[in-house]
Amino acid sequence: MEKSKTYNRRSILIVVIIIMALVVGLMSRLSYLMIFKSEYYGEKATRLHERERPIKAERGVIYDCNGIELAGNKPVCTISVIHSQITNSDKVIQVLSKELGLSEEKVRKRVQKNSSIERIKTNVDKTIADKIREYDLDGVMVDEDYKRYYPFESLASKVLGFTGSDNQGIVGLEVAYDKYLQGTDGNILTLTNARGVEIDGAAEDRVEPIAGKDLITSLDVNIQKYAEQVASKVYEQKKAKSVKIIVMNPQNGELMAMVNYPEFNLNDPYTLNYQVDGLVTEKQKTDLLNEMWRNACISDTYEPGSAFKIVTATAALEENVVKLTDKFYCPGYKKVEDRMIRCHKKGGHGSETFVDGIKNSCNPVFMTLGERLGIDNMYKYFKQLGLFNRSGVDLPGEANSIMHKKENVKAVELATMSFGQGFQITPLQLLTSVSAVINGGTRITPHVGVSVKKKDGTGTEELKYKTTDNVIRKDTSQTMKELLEAVVATGTGKRAYLPGLRIGGKTATSEKLPRGNGKYIASFVGFAPANNPKVLAIAMIDEPQGLYYGGVIAAPVVSELFDNVLPYLGIEHDYTEDEKKENNIGTIKVPNFIGLKKEEVDKLVKSLGIESIYYATEGDVVTEQYPLEGDVVDKNSDLILYLE
Amino acid sequence: MTRNDRDKGKRNKFHSYYDYSLLFLTLFLAGFGLIMIYSTSAYTSQVNYGYSTAFLKKQAISVSLGVVAMLAASKLDYHLLLKPLPVIKMTPIMALYILCIGLQAFVLKFGKEINGAKRWINLGPLGTFQPSELSKVATIILVAYLVQKNPRELNKFKGFVRVVLWLSPLIGCIVKENLSTGIVIVGIIVCICFVATRKKLYYIIVGIIGACGIAGFIGLVSFRATRFRVWLNVETEPLGYQILQGLYAIASGGIFGVGLGKSMQKLGFIPESHNDMIFSVICEELGLFGAIMLILVFLLVIWRLFIIAISAPDLFGGLICVGVLAHIAIQVIINVAVVTNSIPSTGIPLPFISYGGTSVAILLAEMGIALSVSNQIKFER
Repeated sequence: MEKSKTYNRRSILIVVIIIMALVVGLMSRLSYLMIFKSEYYGEKATRLHERERPIKAERGVIYDCNGIELAGNKPVCTISVIHSQITNSDKVIQVLSKELGLSEEKVRKRVQKNSSIERIKTNVDKTIADKIREYDLDGVMVDEDYKRYYPFESLASKVLGFTGSDNQGIVGLEVAYDKYLQGTDGNILTLTNARGVEIDGAAEDRVEPIAGKDLITSLDVNIQKYAEQVASKVYEQKKAKSVKIIVMNPQNGELMAMVNYPEFNLNDPYTLNYQVDGLVTEKQKTDLLNEMWRNACISDTYEPGSAFKIVTATAALEENVVKLTDKFYCPGYKKVEDRMIRCHKKGGHGSETFVDGIKNSCNPVFMTLGERLGIDNMYKYFKQLGLFNRSGVDLPGEANSIMHKKENVKAVELATMSFGQGFQITPLQLLTSVSAVINGGTRITPHVGVSVKKKDGTGTEELKYKTTDNVIRKDTSQTMKELLEAVVATGTGKRAYLPGLRIGGKTATSEKLPRGNGKYIASFVGFAPANNPKVLAIAMIDEPQGLYYGGVIAAPVVSELFDNVLPYLGIEHDYTEDEKKENNIGTIKVPNFIGLKKEEVDKLVKSLGIESIYYATEGDVVTEQYPLEGDVVDKNSDLILYLE
Repeated sequence: MTRNDRDKGKRNKFHSYYDYSLLFLTLFLAGFGLIMIYSTSAYTSQVNYGYSTAFLKKQAISVSLGVVAMLAASKLDYHLLLKPLPVIKMTPIMALYILCIGLQAFVLKFGKEINGAKRWINLGPLGTFQPSELSKVATIILVAYLVQKNPRELNKFKGFVRVVLWLSPLIGCIVKENLSTGIVIVGIIVCICFVATRKKLYYIIVGIIGACGIAGFIGLVSFRATRFRVWLNVETEPLGYQILQGLYAIASGGIFGVGLGKSMQKLGFIPESHNDMIFSVICEELGLFGAIMLILVFLLVIWRLFIIAISAPDLFGGLICVGVLAHIAIQVIINVAVVTNSIPSTGIPLPFISYGGTSVAILLAEMGIALSVSNQIKFER
């Protein structure tokens, strides 16, 4: 034994040295991993442990031109439960079902589901959420969130559009300006275990969200409201399919109002704004909703009809193929090649000047103009006035015009086109063209968005839109304004006339295709003041029942609108002498009535031209008067007298 | 050691060399293991059983049993192993060896499957028993016994073959289901024989043949070949998930670690982090510093075993210590190498630390035998 011992010792030493060598090797490997690879694997591990909980960025607010909120955000909360953190599940179920108005069964199912986090209810009102927070229940999470909110509900619904649950615009301005409005979501980075449950006390990394930018629009709540009111009135009266009104500044293309009546409730966009008979499938419902959300003012094309004579007349004047004094004869039709194309007046307008022709909206006159112009010139001005292109409005879903190919336009087509038939444009395209005609020849881009700014008011960015100057001559524009004022003053548009307000315009009655189905679109394009247009508006009544002439039913709509909108915009009444006389306009200095008898009062009033007197009390002698002696008032204001 | 023993030593002017440092190192490792098992298994236990100490409790019971067994064994003279047992007329060595073959055969046929491996015998309410751990001890003792009977024979190749033939039934039973234990057992045999022989050349030859055999085995069994592929592409292979998570844990630890109990990776990212992968969590929580300290403690254990082995009163005791030394060293090296992805993955627990009742209890008992050897060392004061 002893002999072999030294030998064994050496052998064991060799074994131990080999072991030591291996261990030292492993230690180096370990050091390499923990020092040099630490960052590489550590980062990967952190990425594995970190969970991002997004913090929604507040969406930008949409304002009207007066700074009134059209689309804002309402704080709401999301209530969720974390299964593993619940300590008293019965209490949780009871509280949540009571406060959230959910059935206990439903809540129980969610609470008892073994998932990392289970959402109980979203869009919970903040007051309810605060109440739930006060219970301080383990495992119940209350997350704050924003919900898009439209204070005026249905106002300008098809222009504004709405957002989906993911803070993403779905239609309207919300889509068009999504990149400004959205902002950048922030997030909370938390450490979680492999099941995704957050670890208490672990440091949170927070990246603050950047709120979306606010959008300032040219819409005016008051004008929009009024336009919707007017639209709803005529919608009811004429039992129309829909009524569209667009109000625009023809000088720069800013849209002040855009009505597509009936509108829908933006706070509840997935409910149809009418009753549907019978059951609808999901797909049908989707189609119906899409139809409801559609902004027909820009997405639907129609035959503009007589309103288009503005364009034909402008082209003719521009090309000098007609003078105001040119004589025409209308027998009630015009023969083009082998076709008799009728005027809207059966007997014809007889002999008339060009001015009469436009005032009468006489089709043969315009067919003649078309003939004189030729298709090349016609299309030249179509292009100049922007009828071949989309208007470029900052709203999604704009349609383009539908025009004949130039080589397919023969005499008959040219004739019909000259009075607005045989092609289709959108109402907004028509307004764009008319704007250029009446603003001195500048083709503008209609738009709603004016500027965007940050929440704190800084970083304002004016939105730029394309304009093209001198698409027609200034003098042509001047002449057209005068002609169109005459149409309203004494022509087919006389129902749009408002004393003291110089209104120009053109009526139109378009028969819907196919011809002869008895469906019409009555419309009127009007602007004011005629000498320096500040407002341009179109009213379109789709499929009115009964009378359907634009001059009869659409002109009064614009007149009613202007009667309120023009004073609101600070456009003063400017009466001519005739108008003053006719409408009893002027001011008087109120004399003394006190002490006068009734007969004496009558006499005095008649001589002054005051029309309405109210006697507040019974009696013979005036004791008190309003307005007081010496006040200067309008002739047509009321006089109130107290008798004894 | 009782007062009585010490008095006896004094009287003989000889002192028993009871290796207290080894005892305390062993107890330290077992205690440290319990702490790390609680740290790593608390989350899994909470998730699976609703309370955090399920694994800790089981392990603590095993450790207690193991410590009792260790102290008892250390007080018994290991030469008792050479005395035939009264009834069966057989040395305890042979009896243990036959028992092990029986258990291994039983486990092959009736074993309880855990995680797809059939390695456990179900003892009902007492838990499970892993006979392969016992087989390791049996191997150590048997090989030491065979060699010491005729040490010279081992200088010839025939002698080595004879030892291997003796052990082949056991190895055969084990390798079929559990390659890693097979490697450990073969490693122990090779170490003991290497120490005992004068002719090292055999070992070089055997080493080459062994390497060829292992390579052939890997080529034959696709399951092992897959391990190789995973080893080389641990970041892309889906099967490398556990190892990759271990690497994340190790690297996250850095030099000083994230702090005891603060591992992220143990929270479900590393599956069964209290088992074979426990070293990666130790690295994460205690850092490079802690990991190297732990390895140093193992080295100290090995050093103590080395001292005992070279001072053992006879060849049998010395070889037993060499076996124990080899057993612990091989397991530590393979475990750390696997966790650091230095070699293809194989399931070998870290001695004293990894969760596993059979493993820790038998290891402690084994340390008891080593201590018993130390207890027989007599030296003059």
